Amino acid sequence: MRNGRGCARQAGAPCRYPVLWYLSPMNGYLFIRLIVLFSGLAALSGSLPALAAGTSSQQAIRVGILAPLSGPFASGGSSFLQAATLAVERANAGGGVLGRRVELVVADTQGRVDVSKSEALRLISRERVFAIVGAYLSEETVGAIEAAVAARKLLVVPVAATAEITDGVKKDYPRHRYVFRVSYSIPQWAAMMSEFLIQRRVRTYAFVGASIRWNRELADALKKTLASKGIAPVYEAFYSPRNPAFEPVAVAAAAAAPDILVLGDPGKNSVVFVKRFREGGSGIPILSVGGALGDGRVAETLPLSYPLYVQAAAWKGSSEAATAYFEAFEKRYGYAPVGYSDTLPYDAVTVLLSAIRAAGRLETDAVLSALEKGGFPGVAGTYRFDSSHQADWGTAPGHLHGTVIQWEKEGARIVFPLR
Amino acid sequence: MTPLAQVIVDGIFTGASYALMAAGLALILGVVKVVNLSHGAFFTLGAYVAYLLEARGVENFAAAVLLAAVIAFAFGVFLGKSFINPVRAHPFSVAVGSLGFAILFEQIAQMLWGPHPLSIDLGTPWATVNGITFRRWGVISFILSLGLTGGLSLLLSGPWGLPLKLIAEDEEIAGSVGMDVEKIRYLTFGAASAVAAVAGALLAPAAAIAPTMGRVPLILSLIVVIASGMENVWSLFFLAVGLGLLSNLSAYLLAPSWSYILLLAVICLLLVMRHSGLAVAAPGRDY
Repeated sequence: MRNGRGCARQAGAPCRYPVLWYLSPMNGYLFIRLIVLFSGLAALSGSLPALAAGTSSQQAIRVGILAPLSGPFASGGSSFLQAATLAVERANAGGGVLGRRVELVVADTQGRVDVSKSEALRLISRERVFAIVGAYLSEETVGAIEAAVAARKLLVVPVAATAEITDGVKKDYPRHRYVFRVSYSIPQWAAMMSEFLIQRRVRTYAFVGASIRWNRELADALKKTLASKGIAPVYEAFYSPRNPAFEPVAVAAAAAAPDILVLGDPGKNSVVFVKRFREGGSGIPILSVGGALGDGRVAETLPLSYPLYVQAAAWKGSSEAATAYFEAFEKRYGYAPVGYSDTLPYDAVTVLLSAIRAAGRLETDAVLSALEKGGFPGVAGTYRFDSSHQADWGTAPGHLHGTVIQWEKEGARIVFPLR
Repeated sequence: MTPLAQVIVDGIFTGASYALMAAGLALILGVVKVVNLSHGAFFTLGAYVAYLLEARGVENFAAAVLLAAVIAFAFGVFLGKSFINPVRAHPFSVAVGSLGFAILFEQIAQMLWGPHPLSIDLGTPWATVNGITFRRWGVISFILSLGLTGGLSLLLSGPWGLPLKLIAEDEEIAGSVGMDVEKIRYLTFGAASAVAAVAGALLAPAAAIAPTMGRVPLILSLIVVIASGMENVWSLFFLAVGLGLLSNLSAYLLAPSWSYILLLAVICLLLVMRHSGLAVAAPGRDY
């Protein structure tokens, strides 16, 4: 016999779908039953977070992740989150930090300055995170800094490169001391790039980038750094993301006949530009700042008859830690990391957790002091911060030096630093 | 060969790629009479179809084009029938709704295939004549664009295109002579969506395939349609090629950032001079 909606039931046998039977109008008192059911669900839904809090959140160290997970920069933001998740998973697998689990609280900046600032405020005031790792772009990081320093929360910057981030610490230490940058600054980036170009005996270069602030800053810094070595740019162009006009830029850059082309754009347009440049028949070597061109799945589809170099913070084989990280990432996500927009956030989370361990207690000032004093091992090497809270990337011995790989048909080969 | 000659050849090809997308948009604007901001999403869909087939070892572009066209046509018809037709009397709702669909598609693409740019093997250029390289993607978009414009022009001048012309001219008269106006509208929407997807599938090897890749082509094709009007498909083609040339020459002779600024400046100037677009004054009106 059919007992109510969808509940076929033999006399005396249990109903296959108890909820449907319970709601069946044939059973009478439907209204009362609905009230009881919804009250039960409401009570259960209200108690679930509390139950969860009892088991994890109460004891967990909450770290805010501020990254662009939607919009045009979602690729970098997604790598950022994947790497941060991996770092926390590994920390928790090793017993957590100070005996507590670490929990990520994720906020999507959408690549927008205003959203970044409001999400930073939400992480601090509503989610009550202990510290924030983020944001991704320079502009949105500057917005997040305002929120973090006002609330005296630690902000560890994993990728953004603009000078404004550490300038604040230099100029107004008492207010901005909560900001630490793990990634390389523009001058450091230019210095490492220059070292590679000098090693390659380059005399002239072309710089092509996206029309964004830090790309122009990088071009200027590189020009200044290389001027003393007699190396000058023969062509410089910044394509607009709205109408990139790749072909004329590729033609003009090739016509200028530089020894190498430096590609400052880390985004998806860098892939298109390389295609146009090679399709036009130019064999001029390319040095990319990293990002999309560090992805092995993309690189295998590009013409590799002429050198394509990619800068990275670290690469598989550059150290034991880097190899372990690359293998763990690949195992976890099914493809290899790009060595930049994932590696640096991984190190940012790792450095923060190591500093909490070193401080021995979950207090902002104690962790801040530990960050200022200590050396913290990461995938790219051991991180130490200078007086402006900038990690010591550079070409001097003992500094974090990054790496450059060359894509070949068989895969990536490390070509810098020379070993 | 001078670099300038190469820039001019590339400019023509770039303009042809604008026309490819713009033709579908113009058709929708002319027949359905709505601004469709989801057109770029169909371009992206076509590119992903080509990528997915290649990733599964099917390196046959005819298959990619056919599959992309079928899927996009089905989606286009669904969208046209279920959303565009019921709300087309409210242009603002259509614009917002179609933009919403485009963003929804981007999010779904990101969930399915990830946010990271994907890539297909570029292949070699088709020919180099007197030092001028004829890029494969450029030749493809030029031929396709020329074929599409010619085909559309032929269709609209023949008896098969009569319903489209009549609906574009006066819907009430079209309805009164027994035409199923609603059906023709959503079929037109589906066909235009299929054209965008075909363009995406064919140009995928030259691009970085990512969820947001349809945004730039959408904006550039909108510029072309706004400037040309939608009455004459050949005007649209030649204007697109002219704008492609302008874009490339200004990027080469001035700076890349000028290409977009000049493009917009010229469009503004054209619209100030001829409010309804260039093609309105043209003698041969297609629809």
